[in-house]
Amino acid sequence: MADDNDFGIGATRAGHYGAAESTGVTLAETNFAAAWNVQGSARSPDVASAARALFGLSLPAVPNTTSRDGALTALWIGPASWLIVATDASALADFEAKRDALDAAGGALFDVSAGRVGWTIGGPEAATVLAKGCPLDFHARVFGAGMCAQSVFGRVNALFYRHGVLPAHSTDPSLQRSPQFTMLVARSFARDAWRFLCVSAAQYGYDVLHPQPF
Amino acid sequence: MQRCRLPAGGVVDRSQPLPFEFDGASYEGYAGDTLASALLANGVHLVARSFKYHRPRGILCAGVDEPNALVQLGRGARTEPNVRATTQELYAGLWASSQNRWPSLSFDIGAINDAMSRLIPAGFYYKTFMWPPTPRWWLRYEHLIRRVAGMGVAASLPDPDCYEHQYAHCDVLVIGAGPAGLAAARAAAQAGARVILCDENSTLGGRLYGGAATIDGGGASAWLEATTRELVAHADVTLLARTAAFGCYDGSLVGLIEHVAEHARGATAARSSGSAAQLAPVSTWMPRERLWKVRARSVVLATGAHERGIAYANNDLPGTMLAGALRTYIERYAVRPGTRAVVFTNNDHAYATAFALQGAGIEVAAIVDPRGGAALDGALPLAARDSLLPILARSVVTGAHGRLHVTAVDVAPLVGGTVSRIECDLVALSGGWNPAVHLFSQARGRLRYDEALASFLPDQCPVPMTVVGAANGSTDLAEALSEGHAAGLAAARAAGFAATASLRVPEAAPGASGAPLALWSTPPAAKGAKRFVDWQNDVTVDDVALAAREGYSSVEHLKRYTTLGMGTDQGKISNVVGLALLAGELERPIASVGTTTFRPPYTPVTLGAFPGHDAGPHVEPSRFSSIHDWHVAHGARFVNAGFWKRPHSYPRTGESPDDAALREARNVRTNVGIVDVSTLGKIELQGGDVAEFLNRVYINRWDTLQVGRCRYGVMLRDDGIVLDDGTTSRLAPSHYLLTTTTANAARVMQYLESLLQTEWPELDVYASAVTEQWSAAAVAGPRARDVLAKIVDIDVSNAAFPFLAVASCHVRTATGPVQARVFRMSYSGELAYEIHVPADKGRAMWNAAIAAGAGVGIMAYGTEAMSTLRIEKGHIVVGAEADGRTTADDLGLGGLASRAKSCIGSRLSERPALKSSDRWQLVGLVTVGNEPMPRAAKIVADPDRAAPNPMLGHVTSWCRSPNLDAWIALALLENGRARHGQTLWAVSPLANVRVQVQVGRPCFIDPKGERLRG
Repeated sequence: MADDNDFGIGATRAGHYGAAESTGVTLAETNFAAAWNVQGSARSPDVASAARALFGLSLPAVPNTTSRDGALTALWIGPASWLIVATDASALADFEAKRDALDAAGGALFDVSAGRVGWTIGGPEAATVLAKGCPLDFHARVFGAGMCAQSVFGRVNALFYRHGVLPAHSTDPSLQRSPQFTMLVARSFARDAWRFLCVSAAQYGYDVLHPQPF
Repeated sequence: MQRCRLPAGGVVDRSQPLPFEFDGASYEGYAGDTLASALLANGVHLVARSFKYHRPRGILCAGVDEPNALVQLGRGARTEPNVRATTQELYAGLWASSQNRWPSLSFDIGAINDAMSRLIPAGFYYKTFMWPPTPRWWLRYEHLIRRVAGMGVAASLPDPDCYEHQYAHCDVLVIGAGPAGLAAARAAAQAGARVILCDENSTLGGRLYGGAATIDGGGASAWLEATTRELVAHADVTLLARTAAFGCYDGSLVGLIEHVAEHARGATAARSSGSAAQLAPVSTWMPRERLWKVRARSVVLATGAHERGIAYANNDLPGTMLAGALRTYIERYAVRPGTRAVVFTNNDHAYATAFALQGAGIEVAAIVDPRGGAALDGALPLAARDSLLPILARSVVTGAHGRLHVTAVDVAPLVGGTVSRIECDLVALSGGWNPAVHLFSQARGRLRYDEALASFLPDQCPVPMTVVGAANGSTDLAEALSEGHAAGLAAARAAGFAATASLRVPEAAPGASGAPLALWSTPPAAKGAKRFVDWQNDVTVDDVALAAREGYSSVEHLKRYTTLGMGTDQGKISNVVGLALLAGELERPIASVGTTTFRPPYTPVTLGAFPGHDAGPHVEPSRFSSIHDWHVAHGARFVNAGFWKRPHSYPRTGESPDDAALREARNVRTNVGIVDVSTLGKIELQGGDVAEFLNRVYINRWDTLQVGRCRYGVMLRDDGIVLDDGTTSRLAPSHYLLTTTTANAARVMQYLESLLQTEWPELDVYASAVTEQWSAAAVAGPRARDVLAKIVDIDVSNAAFPFLAVASCHVRTATGPVQARVFRMSYSGELAYEIHVPADKGRAMWNAAIAAGAGVGIMAYGTEAMSTLRIEKGHIVVGAEADGRTTADDLGLGGLASRAKSCIGSRLSERPALKSSDRWQLVGLVTVGNEPMPRAAKIVADPDRAAPNPMLGHVTSWCRSPNLDAWIALALLENGRARHGQTLWAVSPLANVRVQVQVGRPCFIDPKGERLRG
């Protein structure tokens, strides 16, 4: 068992790590200003319209899909349960008023902004690296752009999302073509998941980039 | 100098010589060699001693089926026993030694077993060593037997390498990249399916290498190259060489083991030592092996076939090789393993070996074939006759001669006649082919015995799996290609990919072949001569006969009794011969005897590959609070609490962890302490019916809880036993926060969700686990208010913020104000507050509290001090006091129960046995004379009473109380509340310790609660 700190694998500062001759993967911490859990039930259709009025966003009805509008992305994370992620704090403000509005509509709103840590994983080997810890099928035909799913990464529960838009940071054409995923894990497990990510990516060579918005 | 290497041909790279060492001697091979081919190229045949009789053994096979050539590979932490020389790729600096011999391979003392073999027949240890009939003797014998009948030695140092897992999904998984597998992969890929093609060899192609076959009008190797190129070009095709499929599991899950870095490791060594070997650069970052878990919609098995032997006397002498393997060594590895060969075969395939021998300049002394007449009219025997090769039809080999190497064989007519001796140094042996149906059988496929081919073939399979090529009994190249092609297309179609019309079946000339003759053994030339069925386990024809005579008539019993088919090769060349011989002894058809069960793994898999990255300190995940780094920086000793790493205590230089905990606990009672309680389970509930829901799950009443207040609650199981405890706060009219114990967080969340989804779906209640959202610290002690007042923006005076108050506020941190929730609750019994902040601000809040408390003696305390404080206060812990047998009343919490409503468990807690006066109830104990409290003691009235001494109860938690300067404990004691004031004994028979204890209330400090309300 190689030590985590061998050759800097597991370090979080920006730079190139692992195999020197290639960059198969890019890793960047995912920044988001807020993440709220909206819950409703099939019995209260008001929740969907209340959410649309409150957030200006339609909650996806199909399991494991997402909707995105500007700074907000809504991810389906369970029957009548969504995670709304904001890249901009102003997009999710005034929690208590919105909680009360959803409550009045028969739903609920929970602030879980600090509960998860995320990384955006790109590069030609991004799906391969995720598949070292996760039994999901990340092939584009199965897990397309804008889809999300919950599973495990290593031994840790994780939420995966495949971006539809290419990352702004990459100028390398091979990275432009490569898929881009965001993986969210519970904050207390983040060290384990990050280590697993780095150890798995080292063989392809990876760049740790500066944090990116969700 | 590789004296047995052919000057040209083969796929070895003569420009890349690789030095290696075997049994202390230095040799050289070429890139592309296996250890076996490199040894043969150096004229080394004797590579091992057998398991039981220590007979000299050579290389028999050219792949995973090898029973003999097992070596100890590498030294130190990386040493590996029982490595098959026939599958081990050669690398520069490879180091191997033979096993199971002393003092040397050519002179092995253990060979005395061979002479004494009449004393140790099959199953001898069951018979001989069962006497005298006490098991202790067997333990002694076993020790000796294990030493004598050994294999290699396992590494005793930790494995320095790393392994990883790879999940993969595909439409078509093709196992085996010979002609059939390649044709299948090519067809499926062209149709657009996602394909994974794996092969255990270092290169794709199977037997296409070096042969004279033609495909699509060109050389087979040209077709192989073109096909490989084509496959590589497909984005959705994954080609995996050096990757063996070892198991088929439910749901079309197939386990593959890929040897990623081993073959290249030596190249790194060679580069750094300045050797001439210049191989492709090797990444330091590669795992040694990669375990693939492949979910495939369809599986195409193109696993080929294993040749089997024929049992004749001394058929194990070095120089004896299976005919197909011999041809591989000549054609693929360009090795000339002898000068004069005898071919002994019951089928046409070995005739190709005869031509290969001839082509390599090896004299073919005779082709001995039990068949005659029309059976010898196949294309190959006819060609052999045309080439004037000496064919001895209707003849068999009955024995071989030689000491460490074969020097001659005895040949006799199949029926009667005189024995003649033929000098030779090489025997090419073929008893027919066993299709490699292992994975098919693991997938619950049924086998059928084919009389014409004299082998077991795949029949029906309940999962989408197709068997093609030699694995399906189709050994002809043209047949293999068309079967593979068809299976590839069908598998792609099943996944929804229609084939394009332009794709043609690869064509090869069909070869006519004569029927084989089932022949398993030949009559012994001399009495007692050993005719081996299973080379690895030294099982002979006579052993099988003995087992049958002794009543082991099931093939599974035969395996256990004789060890036939056990070991690293799992009888790949021997099983069918063994069961056919058994069938002969029992005079039953082979089909009715059947095969032993095929189980994973098909080929040995390194254990380290199964845990993968989950090894060493990462054997389970770890959870860290966001304040963890502060704890590390301040010398915390950590303790596992579930997956969490929690500070046990913060020992100072020269201080023991226990002393540190005493200091920390004392400081809480005198000044102020701070403890990281981020690990507590936190669940938020929202909705109009939360109070009703809480009423139903807790024994106490919740509809009276005001906004801005919290309350302690106890939850019962259905049967009235305590499940969990914690506090619930009302944050807003329909927004509550419930805390659980650290260990029960996930269980309680699941429980509540299950209740909401299945029992009371009509309730307007939503739950969200927010443990991860909030970092929390408890500030406790007489000076706690001083600390709070400095960092929060609300009035925390007793009047404005009394005991059990809750408020939202802000904490002033170095990086600005942070949104927070403050709770006035106490676990220690002191004036105490819990501060919750979003987890990404946990460290900032902690730093602010530490800074604010600097002037009033704040100290961080760990779980040990926390435990001491709660024992002093008499607070229970789920797991220790609430141990799955106690009711709320047992724990002194019965008063919490509301009579105005019922809750889960309330009905069953009314059962008489749960209300009986002899229940074990929670009490406090203090040792008499300040004696240390024994660990996990039981409580008795009279320690001197003879066993069984009635147990009145047991200690559940104990500690040295720094504030009382006494040893105290919480205990569950029969009718305990009526025993206050009694003196009893706490005894630990294990430690042989007894102390007198005084029974009292389970509260040692501030029984009136003035401190926490002050």
